[in-house]
Amino acid sequence: MDNQTYLVQQFTELSGALTDFNAFALNGTGLVQCYYDTLTRLVGHAIVEELLSTFVSLYESASNHEQFNEALRKHILGDEKFGPVARNIIKLWYTGTWYQMAHFWRDAYGMSEEDMTFFVNSASYAEGLLWQAIDANPSGAKGPGYGSWSAPPNIHFDNGWQFKPFTHTSK
Amino acid sequence: MSEANSTMKQVTPDSAVQNSANGKYDAVIIGSGISGAITAKELTAKGLNVLMLEAAPAKDMSYKGFKSYLSNYYENASKDNNSPYPNNPNARMPRSTDVSKLKPGVADAKGYLVQNGPLALDSTYTRVTGGTTMHWEAKILRMLPDDFSIKTKYGVGLDWPINYDDLMPFYQMAEREIGVSADVEEQGFYGIKYEPGYVYPMHGLPPSYLDKIVAKGIDGAEFVLNGETHTVKVRPFPQGRNGIPNERYNNGQGFTPVGALSTYQVEQGGRCQGNNNCVPICPVQAKYDARKTLVAAAKTGRLDFLPQAVASKVVVNEHDNNIQHIEFKHYASTSSTEHTVHQVHGKIFVLATNAIENARLMLASKLPSSSGLVGKNLMDHTYLLAWGLLPEAAGTMRGTKCTSGIADFRHGEGRKSQAPFGVDIHNDGWGWATGSPFSDVESLVDAENKFGRALRQSVVNRISNQLLFAFMVEQTADESNCVTVDEAYLDALGNQRPVIHYQLSDYSKAGIAYSRHTSKVFFQRLGAKDFSSYSPLDYGHFQYEGEDYYFRGGNHFSGTHIMGTCAANSVVDENQKSWDHNNLYLVGSGSMPSIGTSNTTLTLAALCYKTSKHIIETLSQYSVGVVSDSDYKIAKGASHE
Ligand SMILES: Cc1cc2nc3c(=O)[nH]c(=O)nc-3n(C[C@H](O)[C@H](O)[C@H](O)COP(=O)(O)OP(=O)(O)OC[C@H]3O[C@@H](n4cnc5c(N)ncnc54)[C@H](O)[C@@H]3O)c2cc1C
Ligand code: SF4
Repeated sequence: MDNQTYLVQQFTELSGALTDFNAFALNGTGLVQCYYDTLTRLVGHAIVEELLSTFVSLYESASNHEQFNEALRKHILGDEKFGPVARNIIKLWYTGTWYQMAHFWRDAYGMSEEDMTFFVNSASYAEGLLWQAIDANPSGAKGPGYGSWSAPPNIHFDNGWQFKPFTHTSK
Repeated sequence: MSEANSTMKQVTPDSAVQNSANGKYDAVIIGSGISGAITAKELTAKGLNVLMLEAAPAKDMSYKGFKSYLSNYYENASKDNNSPYPNNPNARMPRSTDVSKLKPGVADAKGYLVQNGPLALDSTYTRVTGGTTMHWEAKILRMLPDDFSIKTKYGVGLDWPINYDDLMPFYQMAEREIGVSADVEEQGFYGIKYEPGYVYPMHGLPPSYLDKIVAKGIDGAEFVLNGETHTVKVRPFPQGRNGIPNERYNNGQGFTPVGALSTYQVEQGGRCQGNNNCVPICPVQAKYDARKTLVAAAKTGRLDFLPQAVASKVVVNEHDNNIQHIEFKHYASTSSTEHTVHQVHGKIFVLATNAIENARLMLASKLPSSSGLVGKNLMDHTYLLAWGLLPEAAGTMRGTKCTSGIADFRHGEGRKSQAPFGVDIHNDGWGWATGSPFSDVESLVDAENKFGRALRQSVVNRISNQLLFAFMVEQTADESNCVTVDEAYLDALGNQRPVIHYQLSDYSKAGIAYSRHTSKVFFQRLGAKDFSSYSPLDYGHFQYEGEDYYFRGGNHFSGTHIMGTCAANSVVDENQKSWDHNNLYLVGSGSMPSIGTSNTTLTLAALCYKTSKHIIETLSQYSVGVVSDSDYKIAKGASHE
């Protein structure tokens, strides 16, 4: 596996842990590569790689999901540098929107000029995970069919993300 | 204009001017919204020649143009009502995002509408080909019979010179043109009646799951008002969007819905797919918009359509006070203000640019009418929003914006002391009030610090459980609410912009306050947590009896050229003909002396059928080549294929 593929795979796993949608669901949106590219373009390769390697080491040292979540909160979401990036990854997946980073972050870590609030592309809007979470179609796209709104929503967590204790053979 | 649809014959300004000088046009219609489109379709079907001026470009008549609206919409982070439509400085339109809190005594001119206050009105309309129906919601209600005589019955507002019975046949015609989905059995309440055996063109749309949950909780709730008991029942709304055709329609002949418009028939204009995006734009064109009517008019070959032509002045003949010509400004491109000025002539003139623009054009032409009422009596529905979280997932964010509501506060003696209202149950949750669902994700992630399973579960609880009631409250005629013009405020072509003067009466406020009271009872019965709040910083904020409220504009501008019984009390007669100018018609909701608790479009469409009939009768007296009734029917029938 080349480095690029490896990074994208780790990005997918991190996204899964943050959003609670597994790799299968994320890949189903067709947007993994696009979001990875958007992220690296906007916050830079160095920070992304640092974030992913932090994620990998947290993953490897946790023995269960609870422990892992605690570490994730402390060392990524609660980290001055990584926190805003991680929250942007969540919002990107849930809404298809890149949100402009906070001022202090831009000052501290030097942001790209492209860092504005925008829909990544027209597919990203329609593929927002929030719609899947609530079993609704994105407003304005993917019409579910006449009368479908009359039935109760089918809300489930079947494609949720699972923590699997790390073993050195699993990669 | 290169993308023009092959079915729309467009003319150049020069040939329109030439044709009109040669006496070709029986009617010159200004504006291609539903009012202008219906009038054009009726007149051309009868063999009359029509020139239509439209301020906007017409490239959206093609499928490609329509697609570009859609991708504008998807990529536009601010999804306000007009977000799919590009800015056009030559024919600007209001945008709700332009509205902010007014400072007392200071006019706010940052949007197209100059807000003179005291309250800011955030209602909008769309200046594109097809007009505001391009982004309307398409709830399509008849008015109640009582609504036509509120002055006589309740001592408030103004009476109409005609009544429900007079409009009944025209309501039918409007329901056919728009293609209404509804069931008569569910709509005949509080005096609404139908011709025996009448059915709507299509069956009613199924209610949403959310509607059913709400109905279970609040059906049967009783409220006593002025000694009368109002018992609540959740009912479906008639919809201007394609459902399942009713085979019993038209004495068993059935109904063929009109689908997507394009040169190549795309497989899309079928039934409503539940995209929940009717405002601002229906991606599959299941929702009616006026281009459907416009294309039918164009098919007669008797409609000359001139886009990018902004009517700028109505010019009167001194000797008989008739309209001599209309002046317009034609621009070649939306990116430049360069334009040429022209005049067009016709036997009659129809202003169909909507309630604000009709008044604006008349006033800019220094034609306030002998009654002085042009621009006065500006009305709109005022909305109060109340939002809460249900104890269970209700499937919010699915289906059309709104499938059901409550009609039980629209009628009754209570109207003597407070404004009546209809209620919408919003399938799109808190969107209107808070920007849901995006704002929910933002606050769950950024403020509540959720991630992973806890986030996903909270997204469900926060969004799928949402319930928003929108209370649509009647506003009655009041001359101090008005639109004016002012040389100080010009658009890019030098046309005067509308200035809005707007406030709420105690009658309105009492209705709004009572609607809030009913929302609290509903939330109690549903076990819902009430999240409504009305900040003093909100631009629509007001206080009533010590409580805070805010209102939102209903996008139903009306009353600016009311109809009445004589030239002294109104601008137009019951056929929307100007009292002062014998060959001029002002059509649309501007003619309505009262608006009741029904969204205005079905009634204004019915009025346009009445007007068209009158125009056809009038012109046939001048032996214009009006075709016989049987040809007329064939032309009308054919246009539905
Ligand atoms: C968000 C929203 C939701 C709505 N939902 C509903 C609903 O659910 N039910 C309902 O009944 N109503 C609804 N309405 C109201 C409805 O859209 C209007 O009542 C209706 O479209 C008015 O039609 P009209 O033809 O009179 O005017 P418009 O549709 O406004 O058309 C006027 C036309 O004239 C053109 N024009 C303007 N000025 C000039 C000029 N100077 N020269 C040449 N052309 C000019 C414009 O470009 C436009 O094409 C809604 C409105 C909005 C904004
Ligand atoms: S719900 Fe969707 S498909 Fe139906 S009319 Fe609205 S936008 Fe069109």
